[in-house]
Amino acid sequence: MYAWKCWRESRARFIFLLTMSAATTLLFTLMQGITERDGWWHFDRQAYTRDPATMVQLVSMMVLIGLWCSGFLSPLFLGATASGSEIEPGTIEYLWTRPRTRASVTWTHWCICLAEMAVVAVAPTYLAAAILGKLTGIWYFPLLLMAPWMTVIVGLPILGLTTLMTALRRSASGGLIYTAAVISVYVAVRQIITVPLHLNLPPLFAGPLVWLMNSTPFVPVNLAHPLFPWMGPFPWGSLMRCIFLAAAFPLAAQYLLKRAEV
Amino acid sequence: MSEAAIVTEGLSKSFGAQAAVSQLNLQIQPGAVYGFLGRNGAGKTTTMRMLLGLVRPTKGSARVLGLNPTNEPELMRILERVAFVPQRKQLYGWATPAELVRMNKAYFPRWSDDAAAQLARRLEIPMKMAFKKLSIGNQSKVALLLALAQGAEVLILDEPTAGLDPVMVDEILRTLVEDHVSQGRTIFVSSHHLGEVEQICDWVGILEEGRLLLESRLEEIRQEFRLVIASGEGLPVTQSTGVVSATSDGRFHRYVVAREAERFAAELRGQGAAILEISPLGLRELFLHLVRKEDPCTPGNAGAKAVPVSSFS
Repeated sequence: MYAWKCWRESRARFIFLLTMSAATTLLFTLMQGITERDGWWHFDRQAYTRDPATMVQLVSMMVLIGLWCSGFLSPLFLGATASGSEIEPGTIEYLWTRPRTRASVTWTHWCICLAEMAVVAVAPTYLAAAILGKLTGIWYFPLLLMAPWMTVIVGLPILGLTTLMTALRRSASGGLIYTAAVISVYVAVRQIITVPLHLNLPPLFAGPLVWLMNSTPFVPVNLAHPLFPWMGPFPWGSLMRCIFLAAAFPLAAQYLLKRAEV
Repeated sequence: MSEAAIVTEGLSKSFGAQAAVSQLNLQIQPGAVYGFLGRNGAGKTTTMRMLLGLVRPTKGSARVLGLNPTNEPELMRILERVAFVPQRKQLYGWATPAELVRMNKAYFPRWSDDAAAQLARRLEIPMKMAFKKLSIGNQSKVALLLALAQGAEVLILDEPTAGLDPVMVDEILRTLVEDHVSQGRTIFVSSHHLGEVEQICDWVGILEEGRLLLESRLEEIRQEFRLVIASGEGLPVTQSTGVVSATSDGRFHRYVVAREAERFAAELRGQGAAILEISPLGLRELFLHLVRKEDPCTPGNAGAKAVPVSSFS
């Protein structure tokens, strides 16, 4: 029943994120064919069949940029509904006097958020892929299909960090603001250190997404290379760090909440 | 005798240098209706929270239904069998009472839909309105409904009737007596409304500054406790057994005596005092005598400063 409560509480945010993500993705997918003619908008389907491979590549890149945004915003906003956020408004007394462990409460919320993040990332992207396939006649874009799942994986540390910050700050807004602040400070400090020192530090946990973005052509134009020979080595180290952080942050939140007094 | 429903031994809680609860010893038997009284900040809520694992004791121990609330697996078993109405009756604002009932029942195997429906009717709760749109009184009623329909063996109620009108207070008290007390369930209730406590409780404990000043059967208070007012010079403050509290404003001395008031009065007369009054005490008078901060007195009075208690029994 706590799962239902988590869903019910994050439903509005989920619907907003899904709508925004779907709208953006659809816009990116269809805007290449939208032209003005005779004083009104017209959809030119021919734009997708003139050079379908290039079109698939272009649209995929744009969809991926949209995914970057939703991949960052989804865990941030959904994670802010974690149980730590109930301390300030006072509903935590109700929640923590139900016969459920605080750990189970933390991880139930995490699972619901994970599911919601997956839907927000996957549904619009796969819809875009279906539309793109239909319009171009190309149905082979493995990286585009892989991208939302990588976005979800890369979003997990942010979800964990938000869960931890809501526990630390004991409020939803505090968790959200502090997570955004920590990420901003991290990015800023990283830039300040790496640029003047010419350091080539690998991404901490967003490596798989960076790898996707850098893998050109993004969608295999030459179908004779099934093993994607144009792609660089997969950043396994970054993926491992991502998985480590994805587990470490919620575990830290679990520990903090277990010891919390209200 | 069956195992006590709630036991605390030397239970203490400090927040920094501030002692919220100090060396609290309670033993509440199954089926008892225990009124836990005290002024604001006396430590009542902290004690209740310690019993439910919301706050960890600094020292001492507590057991609820024989289980230790500081041990998580045991706490889960406690929470299945104990219903709690917190002082701040805050539930999810977006949820309607009907949704809260559906959500709550999934946690408790002994949940009663019939009891919930009956309570919703009796307490006139608008079940389809969002919790945040309900009046404070209706919000309190929803919190009570969720606790009372839970089928709990022990009810821990922290000011359950705060914000309710007199009709609803009466309805709640009747429900408690009819549906819970009659079934032998234990109720541990804190309240500032002493009239309510007198109406339903059979035991009272009075807490002040984290210390238990008095624990007694309500019946015993009515039958045995007396206020003795004496005048005289150099009267002993706490030398006799049975004196719960003593205050003095110089010439007049007020003693709250737990038993044998006549014998105590005779002792005072023997020391040259004039006995002005020996009168029975209601809970309200007793409470005020114990917690009112006045001049030197026994630890029975919250203002106790200098005089050690030798006879608080």
